[in-house]
Amino acid sequence: MINSIRQSFGDTLTKLAKNNKNIFVVNADLKSSLFLNDFAKKFPRRFIECGVAENNAAAVAAGLAQTGKTVFLTSFACFSPAINWNTIKQSICYNNSNVKIIGSHAGLMSTDLGATHQMLEDLALMRSLPNMEVFSPLDALETEKIIKTISFSKKPAYIRLVRPSTQNLFDPKFDFTIGKSHILQSGKDITIIGHGPILEEAFQVQAKLNLDNKYKKISLEIINCSSIKPLDTFTILKSVKKTGHLICLEDHQKNGGLGEAVASLILTNNFSCKFIHLAVDNSFGRSAKTYQELYNYYGIGVNDLLSAVTSLLVKERSGLSGKRILK
Amino acid sequence: MFPFINTNPLQKISQNLRHDLLDMVYKNGGHIGGSLSSIDLITTVYFGNLFNLKKDHFILSAGHLAPALYTVLANAGYFDKKLLDTYSNFTSILQGHISTEVPGVNYSSGALGQGLSFSCGLALGDPKHTTICLTSDGEHQEGQIWESLLFAKKYKLGNLINIVDFNQFQIDGSVSEIMPLDNLAAKYIQFGWTVTTVDGHNFNQIISALKKAVETRHGAYPVCIIAKTTVGKGISFMENNFKYHDVKKLSESLYNQAKSEL
Repeated sequence: MINSIRQSFGDTLTKLAKNNKNIFVVNADLKSSLFLNDFAKKFPRRFIECGVAENNAAAVAAGLAQTGKTVFLTSFACFSPAINWNTIKQSICYNNSNVKIIGSHAGLMSTDLGATHQMLEDLALMRSLPNMEVFSPLDALETEKIIKTISFSKKPAYIRLVRPSTQNLFDPKFDFTIGKSHILQSGKDITIIGHGPILEEAFQVQAKLNLDNKYKKISLEIINCSSIKPLDTFTILKSVKKTGHLICLEDHQKNGGLGEAVASLILTNNFSCKFIHLAVDNSFGRSAKTYQELYNYYGIGVNDLLSAVTSLLVKERSGLSGKRILK
Repeated sequence: MFPFINTNPLQKISQNLRHDLLDMVYKNGGHIGGSLSSIDLITTVYFGNLFNLKKDHFILSAGHLAPALYTVLANAGYFDKKLLDTYSNFTSILQGHISTEVPGVNYSSGALGQGLSFSCGLALGDPKHTTICLTSDGEHQEGQIWESLLFAKKYKLGNLINIVDFNQFQIDGSVSEIMPLDNLAAKYIQFGWTVTTVDGHNFNQIISALKKAVETRHGAYPVCIIAKTTVGKGISFMENNFKYHDVKKLSESLYNQAKSEL
């Protein structure tokens, strides 16, 4: 089953706003793209349209928040937080305003729109800000859970959304908790950590391994790291201690992405493991009709993940493994 | 016209504040030029009996004018006046640029052009009260200011007042030389604001403009008060001299001269 993360956002917020009169939207001319037409129609006085002016929108959102509102600042990630970073730093983070920044169309998943719209640096921008929490939902269901959860928080937050409809992967039995990761599949050999719908690749790779006589006993531990800041130190370290191998997979630049956060976490905790970071490596995106074409081109496709997995296993067998240096 | 000196009780208050401001900057440095041009405006907002600042909002968008606002807040009893001596020291709450760490400060600022947008949000979210923002003229070179002018007009923010400290100087020289604003009042009118131009060191004029703005706050038009001021006002060698935008160290003799002039 596939569902739209964006639609899940718009529908969830509209539902929440019915009971929570403090929820406001400050929008920068992307109401339809964010499925907010219904919100705007039902709550016209709580839907503030700023036009194509993301800096003004960010500080208006902060000012509104100061009057006790919970404000959702909505745009594409390539404009907000990309154009208005300093306004977010000063007016939202330094002033500790209750503003939730919704950056849609993140990553290569915005396909045909090309490099200017494929925001691959948003996590780097947002992770670096004090007071800011950063989330990247796995699918439509987790989007709903994240939006509900943060609507009760008073802190600034950034939520990264993607354009296409994507596979449902989140277990409905789970709840989303800020600072918690979920193990989507337990395994013993390699930890695969990532965020967003790209994690589906890990399941495809596991299926391929299962069909291969040489690898069918190999099991992957797949971690959905939707809470990028704060990170779930406990779950990540426990998994890596178990498997000794880590692959971080993300539709984002290597620089400043989840991979760097996790690598730093592991080293800071006096731990070492064999590590591969599959992410866009210092390149701009480009247009394509499907994101799979782009994922293959930039080295973050299913086959790239499979190669990364087998390369770790081969090295393991030939004695070149990154066995734990410190236990 | 009567000479304005001593015609308004605020004159005396502001004279004392200038002494405090000078002492503060003599001890620790700071942006004194714009602080001296804007202090009469801030004094009027806080001591002019026009606003209830427990409910109305004052936002200093030009965060480098922190010395002026800190001096006013200390004298208005928001915090101990002795703290002024600690301005921008490591252990002090008085940050170099305006910060909400300081009691009475509603908005942390330093990067220009954002405070008016923030004020728009406040005015929209709290329509029952007045939001007063203070921007500098040089700050109007930031594009975000013009985004917020469009916004305030669209949302009919009659309860928003933007006071422009129009001192005609910025850090590297005169505004007209660096990036001219030309007829700022005409631009505001074109953007759908009500505009008044006053002498920013004449308390009667400032009060009357603010009073009028408060009276029309249920209307549809945001108000801009362009206050023509003098950078470094009150200290002859600082007046109209952009070198005193920010003072790192003032010599003892210049300090004494400044003190005597005040």
